[in-house]
Amino acid sequence: MAGIWVFAEGAEHTLELLCAGRKVAEQLGVHPVAFAPDEELARRYLAHGAREVFVLPGLAPDQGLEAYVPVLAQAAAQEEPDVILIGATQRGKEMAARLSARLDTGLCSNCAGFEVDAGSGRLVMERLMYGGAGVQKVVCTTRPQMATIAARAFEPAPAGEDDAKGTIRSLAAAPSSPVKVLHRTPAARGSVDVTEAKIVVCVGRGIEKKEDVKLARDLADALGGELACSRPVAEELRWLPEEVYLGISGKKIKPQLYVGVGVSGQIQHVTGIRDSRVILAINKDENAPIFEAADYGIVGDLYQVVPILIDELKKTLKH
Amino acid sequence: MLKVIACFKWVIDEADIRVDAPNRKLLLERAAFKISPYDRNAVEEAMRLQEQHGASVTAVTVAPASAKNCLKDVLSRGPDRAVFVNDPSFADLEPARTTGLLAAAIGSFVEFDLILCGEGSSDLYAQQVGPALAEKLGIACATYVNKLTYVEGENRVIAERKLEEGIEVVSVPLPGLITVLPDINTPRIPSLKQVLGAAKKPVEQLTPERLGGMPAERLKTMGVVAATMERKRLRFGAGAEEIRSVVDALLKEGAIG
Repeated sequence: MAGIWVFAEGAEHTLELLCAGRKVAEQLGVHPVAFAPDEELARRYLAHGAREVFVLPGLAPDQGLEAYVPVLAQAAAQEEPDVILIGATQRGKEMAARLSARLDTGLCSNCAGFEVDAGSGRLVMERLMYGGAGVQKVVCTTRPQMATIAARAFEPAPAGEDDAKGTIRSLAAAPSSPVKVLHRTPAARGSVDVTEAKIVVCVGRGIEKKEDVKLARDLADALGGELACSRPVAEELRWLPEEVYLGISGKKIKPQLYVGVGVSGQIQHVTGIRDSRVILAINKDENAPIFEAADYGIVGDLYQVVPILIDELKKTLKH
Repeated sequence: MLKVIACFKWVIDEADIRVDAPNRKLLLERAAFKISPYDRNAVEEAMRLQEQHGASVTAVTVAPASAKNCLKDVLSRGPDRAVFVNDPSFADLEPARTTGLLAAAIGSFVEFDLILCGEGSSDLYAQQVGPALAEKLGIACATYVNKLTYVEGENRVIAERKLEEGIEVVSVPLPGLITVLPDINTPRIPSLKQVLGAAKKPVEQLTPERLGGMPAERLKTMGVVAATMERKRLRFGAGAEEIRSVVDALLKEGAIG
């Protein structure tokens, strides 16, 4: 049976892919099919437009989600779906790559949007390359057509008008996996989600020492915003937690205002902030690429500029 | 002896890319090439295993025949030898083709216990080749690893995966494949002696003919355009008055207030 399959780690992400999948399904005249860890979620996906849901049996304690790859591959070989959309989480990306290798088909990684070519039934998919400098348009020349899609790239699928019509089927249990999980440590969640913040102040390598991060924090406080950083500040210097670094491989934000403090603006970073409504950059190097990506660029030493900026903001924003 | 392969890709330096904005064209002609930064971490991790466990290290790449400079560059970083899968037609290969060529080369011509790859390449960043290669070779894999330990005598590695939800420690039987994150290590800068010694190291050349032909294309690129961003690009100086005018402009735009 043909269909548009969607698989993601979380329920929200699955509903977003279902939204994308429903559009494709309508155009190709086939059914959207979702994957769920239990019957309760399966019924929810049916209510949100899936016409069939495969329930995946639970995993052994030492198995990771990747253990489902052989199960998905077998199901795909039997059912021959037209399209498989997979949530671009880290596990999802590994699973999609392995699945595409097993099925010998093409995979568009981190698909940012697509159109269906009515004549060929092919998805013409867009993705970023060169760290975000280029937009690449691709099609899969083989079936199933596969893509991974990041969270929040689509709105979640709304509940359908005709409720919960469809079938729920259980798939085979995952076979034992060669890779054994020995230990899991949940990430310590900071209280802040930078992707939700309206104003984000970002610390770059132009900040000279860890204590000076406070300067950026003071600016964030004056603006009522949150603090974020570029990748090296989190990964090499470890001055801020990894959950707040922005960029193609980190968080992507869409605030009303982004302020880069000593951020040089490498393309990988700019890709994470490009959807900001207004971008302000402070950097002493007038040739820093961040100025090309900014609406307002202040060329100057951040150690001079930021205190003045904080003063001006305090005068202005005092109510 | 532990036999390690480090895969690497020779990529355009994206910092050199210029944009012809009116035509949405990327100007790549003047761009230099480099070893994809993520792969430098894979090579460095292989060298760390050599230092700790006496592993042999082979660097493997798939690249256009013209990309010979990649060999000296990678070998100066420490590997004992390189395997250069090349053909004049190899520019801009899609991930399934790169995977197919690597699988054919490694499966038939390179003995190994452990394959190391970067988490993705800095040009395409498709993040497919590592896990897909493991699948094609029929070996275990772990992705997004930021700490790797070889367990001597047990033919396995212990890998710490850094995932969205936290750290997952896994045991991976060998032969296996690991993709590494940039923070697993800090790649060393090659010394002059290493750079000079690189030219003397053995390189095996493999062509698609020897590998049973060119894998079929699975993902076709219809076009690449420059990513555009509409920005005002207004410049201001560092004086108090100019900063004041930035604040006023932000207020006017409704960005603050």
